[in-house]
Amino acid sequence: MQITISRGALFKPLTYVCSVVEKRQTLPILSNVLLQLNNEGELSMTGTDLEVEVITECPAIKGDAGEISLNARKLLDITRALPEEAEITIISDDSKAVIRSGRSRFTVQTLPVEDFPKIETEQWDQTWTLPVSVFKSALARTSFAMAQQDVRFYLNGLLFDSDGTNMKTVATDGHRLAKTECELSSVLTDESITSIVPRKAVIELLRIIEDGDSEMKVSFNSNHMRVELDSVVFTSKLIDGRFPDYDKVIPSEQSKKLRVEKKAFHDTLTRASILTNEKFRGVRLIVSENKIAVSANNPDQEEAFDELPAEYVGEEIEIGFNVGYMIDAINAIDTDMIEITLEDANSSGTIRAPEDDKTVYIVMPMRL
Amino acid sequence: MDQPARYAEAWERAIILVDMNAFFASIEQADHPEWQGLPVGITNGLQGTCIITSSYEARAYGIKTGMRLKEARKLCPDIIQCPARPERYAQVSSAIMQALQQITPDIEIFSVDEAFLDVTHCQRLYGHPEKIARQVKKLVYDVSGVLCSVGLSGDKTTAKFAAKHDKPDGLTVIPPWQARERLEDVPVTELCGIAGGIGRHLAKHGAYTCGDVARLPISVLARRFGNPGRRIWYMCQGADPEPLLLNVPPPKSIGHGKVMPPDTRDKEALLLFLLHMGEKVAARLRRHGLQAQTFYVGLRTRDGWLASRQRSVLPTDDGHHVRALCSQFVEQCWHGEGVHQVQVTALDPRPAHGQQDLFTCNDEMQNVNRVMDSVNERYGEFALAPARLLNRSHMPNVIAPAWKPYGHRQTILKEYGTR
Repeated sequence: MQITISRGALFKPLTYVCSVVEKRQTLPILSNVLLQLNNEGELSMTGTDLEVEVITECPAIKGDAGEISLNARKLLDITRALPEEAEITIISDDSKAVIRSGRSRFTVQTLPVEDFPKIETEQWDQTWTLPVSVFKSALARTSFAMAQQDVRFYLNGLLFDSDGTNMKTVATDGHRLAKTECELSSVLTDESITSIVPRKAVIELLRIIEDGDSEMKVSFNSNHMRVELDSVVFTSKLIDGRFPDYDKVIPSEQSKKLRVEKKAFHDTLTRASILTNEKFRGVRLIVSENKIAVSANNPDQEEAFDELPAEYVGEEIEIGFNVGYMIDAINAIDTDMIEITLEDANSSGTIRAPEDDKTVYIVMPMRL
Repeated sequence: MDQPARYAEAWERAIILVDMNAFFASIEQADHPEWQGLPVGITNGLQGTCIITSSYEARAYGIKTGMRLKEARKLCPDIIQCPARPERYAQVSSAIMQALQQITPDIEIFSVDEAFLDVTHCQRLYGHPEKIARQVKKLVYDVSGVLCSVGLSGDKTTAKFAAKHDKPDGLTVIPPWQARERLEDVPVTELCGIAGGIGRHLAKHGAYTCGDVARLPISVLARRFGNPGRRIWYMCQGADPEPLLLNVPPPKSIGHGKVMPPDTRDKEALLLFLLHMGEKVAARLRRHGLQAQTFYVGLRTRDGWLASRQRSVLPTDDGHHVRALCSQFVEQCWHGEGVHQVQVTALDPRPAHGQQDLFTCNDEMQNVNRVMDSVNERYGEFALAPARLLNRSHMPNVIAPAWKPYGHRQTILKEYGTR
């Protein structure tokens, strides 16, 4: 195989592929990227860790059709180190490949193309189409609440739940929960979907998906999810587990409702968080007539106290929260005001944008 | 230096170390006046064969801690074997520490028989530090009938060094301004906390005595040991900057182990011992308001430890959960090897009752545990316990040197109630 391609065309798709390739691999082939050039002069690149597979496409300047597999990181590092306007030629030669550009020449090892693993997928049970921006914002609004390496493996991912018209995405780590809902443009079948996509795949998707109004396709079967963008095909295994019943923990009625300016509340919490216990990060909120007081203290008996105005009428309530959970939820809301509803010091708090019943954040309190 | 003048002045810092010598044996001698002046060896129960500690009279025969009773009898046929009474030692220790708190609240209980007192701020109240040190000695004797050696200096390390000087009934004063000179020719490994490894590193730089170390650039120690290294440099000059640790720091782990009949291969017996240790760990976690999620479970075989880390779904302080992890471990890792010791340790204890959970609700078990704990608090360990524990081993509890009369290290339940 021989291929010539501009650095500009190669670099970005290559970074997407490389980001799923793990740095340390037990199987040498998994540190490689598979390059395939077809007769139309389109180069496709594949990277995988056996759970997630990314295939990107980019146009070549010229070349002979063929395939080759070489170390992903080295190819990326070489590409990055070349000048921006460079043209890169890759020539396969027996068990080696030569990468040339201008006066630079690199000889790297290759591995047999037949050994490169492909995720085998059966037929898709369901395919949705929806705008790229809608999908991306659904991930961005919820993914931060996913668990990390929790023993309850089904929490280490994002739930996609759909009856066929709407898509709900839900993430929880057992202490807080994020849920959002959006409309699908079209669906191929009437299959409903309840699938958990692993954390790594969600994080990669957020990196790969670029803002824009174009439509994208999302397909599911019982084992895999596939996302098809303009020049990227992203496939991930699903987590085989049962997501907890999230509707049960979203309170339907809470007696205390307050509104507060988002930025002011965010800044107040950030200031108070400096003197929280570094490990547990508890802050105390005291909500009373038209104000919220925030206080924190740490094991060294240092204290922070802050206050801000809020729209609230009702009896005083004092409740503790992990300040990190509060700030995460507030960051995910993009209106100027936020609405918080509470019941008592032992029940969850709900955070949302005012009048928004699509997106909701639930945070369990701390006993302080 | 104009010493008399300085003697009259208040010390800038005054630290007292109290060290109760041959503590367990001294208590036994105080409780059994007929044993005064005789060699006494403390063993773990009557069945125990190992000398935990011995009286000064026994030590004169060459008897050492850790020696088998049989060997000890060879050296000293008349040795009096005395089974340890951890509850009694805990009680005496608590009484002493409580009495010392009347002198100053700035007290660090270093172990069951050692305490640091910072009397810097009591000099106007009681007078010269040396006077306070004498008062401490008298107080300890009045409370317990046990003699102690006391070291007085301007920092913890020098005070500890001083206390070693005149055992078992001494009072050694090293005024802070003489500390550097007194330590000058002392081998650095004689200071508390400087063991072989650090000693060897210092020897590579040609530093054997405290004076040698003081002449090294501080960066030599800092590069190798970081901040603890810098502290060693100051320690060697009689200027250990470390303050007294007034609060017991949170525990890094909480564990219990027990020796079993050799070569035990009965699964039920293994599970019973593990359950026993698991219940103890869980009860201790609860007593100190802690929970843990990662547990070390180990079985000691002739080829070493068969062990693994087991993780529970959520942090727990419930014996049931710990037992479930133990049986999971036995199923996974044990293949019939002969076992002679078991161990269960909570590896990541942290304060409980912090963050509440969305999906779990185990209030009922918490209530059961609360009732069990209050019954046991009053009537003794395992007065109320899972029925299977009726068949548990009745080897007595062992008191650890790190025991303290309060905080998470208090594993011996008080029988007499000292408060």
